[in-house]
Amino acid sequence: MHNFLNDPVDVVVTFSEQRVRPVRMRWDNREYNINNVHLIHTAKEGEKRIFYFSVSDQINAFKLKLDTNSLEWRLVEVYSD
Amino acid sequence: MPILMHIDMNSFFASVEQQANPFLRGKPIAVTGKKFDAREAHKPQRSIVAAASVEAKKLGVKTAMPTSEAKRICPNLIFVPGDPEKYSNITHKMNDVFREVTGLVEPASVDESFLDVTAQAEDYMGAIILAQHIRARLKEVCGEHISVSIGVGPNKLIAKLGSGSEKPNGLTVVYPHQVLEFMDKQDLSEIYGIGRRILKRLHSLGIETVTELRMTSLSKLVKEFKSYGVWLYRASRGDGDIIVNPDPEAPKSIGHSYTFPHDLESKTDIRRALLTLADKVAFRMRRDGFSATAVSVRLRYSDLSSRVFQKRFNEREINGKTLMEIAWRLCEPYANAPIRLVGISAHRLSTELPEQDLFSTKHRELSFLGALDKIQNKFGKHAWRRASLMNTWLKARSSGWHYDHEL
Repeated sequence: MHNFLNDPVDVVVTFSEQRVRPVRMRWDNREYNINNVHLIHTAKEGEKRIFYFSVSDQINAFKLKLDTNSLEWRLVEVYSD
Repeated sequence: MPILMHIDMNSFFASVEQQANPFLRGKPIAVTGKKFDAREAHKPQRSIVAAASVEAKKLGVKTAMPTSEAKRICPNLIFVPGDPEKYSNITHKMNDVFREVTGLVEPASVDESFLDVTAQAEDYMGAIILAQHIRARLKEVCGEHISVSIGVGPNKLIAKLGSGSEKPNGLTVVYPHQVLEFMDKQDLSEIYGIGRRILKRLHSLGIETVTELRMTSLSKLVKEFKSYGVWLYRASRGDGDIIVNPDPEAPKSIGHSYTFPHDLESKTDIRRALLTLADKVAFRMRRDGFSATAVSVRLRYSDLSSRVFQKRFNEREINGKTLMEIAWRLCEPYANAPIRLVGISAHRLSTELPEQDLFSTKHRELSFLGALDKIQNKFGKHAWRRASLMNTWLKARSSGWHYDHEL
């Protein structure tokens, strides 16, 4: 099942070697541990830079969006078998 | 003698999706051409397979196949909506890796590039080492699941045929003394530049193989194909272009076309589609410093027949609304039947800007457009919209040649 959302989420990240890595996310009052970061890509909305993180836990793949202007995180895709 | 590489990403869009989502790995997936809109999920959509995974290809799913046919062939096929921004980011990362090796990189499309590695490789053994290095760097930078096929040869034709001869993850090296033998193993249809029509004409001349093409005299080929006959004559001998041009050439035209998910039935809808596309064309012209003195418009009907109209004019133009009005006058009498595709292009481009009379309406319009362009550059392409186009949306597409959002 592939769902497209635009839900605000809380994300815990680590900073290492000038890289941001999401490690935990709270969505809809549930906590999800992020086991793997598979792909990071960027996009531009005008002058604004957006980072997308394709991540997964044991049973779901998530796509997280980080707005670098507002530092707001959103969950934009969820995929599970 | 030059040493060129052609690097082709395998099942590119599908591989990127499988890199991003581990639950898609090892499964037959198809990336669709247009970005999915959840609000329209209940409607049957006209779309094609923009890329199929290696697993889907093994089951018979092909690029450019209608999604309905793909699902019939492979009922457990997983459709993934195209995400052009994700793919373009990987395309840029890949070309950056190539530029670590050589400055002579020519992107041929979104998922393939030519590299001139003559100076860096020195010889073919050096080229093999470079190819392995590039492959390893791509895995580091883009991800383990993204793979490429690499062809190495003395010109672009041979390098490209080389990368296509072993997929996925192949490395094919064709030394100069092996070129003729290598060409003889190729199908005519595999040669880039020989399309279906040319192939049919070659068959009608009794030419079925590359060897037979090479046995055909230059005069016969020129008589049949004019200057293209010279190209065929050279191609059959494995003699291709050796120039890798890292700088894109100035465009001869700027255009946009769009196949709609549903046929357009009314003139109002067709006119709105034309204006939406004309605004995109004009924005690119202004951004890149061009004006135009000709416009063409293309309509493709639901029965797949097409009409193209073109008009030249004297005054230089950079306003999408004016381009649309000229185009609409040309095509309106023919905009009756259901239409699946609308396209508009600006031609006869020049870097001269339109003449402006300080007190004219045109001057005010151009100032206004300049202000809108600034808004768009700062806040993105959805920052403003014509009131008349509130219901006309074009979805971002994943096609093999370019990314809409980068145009």
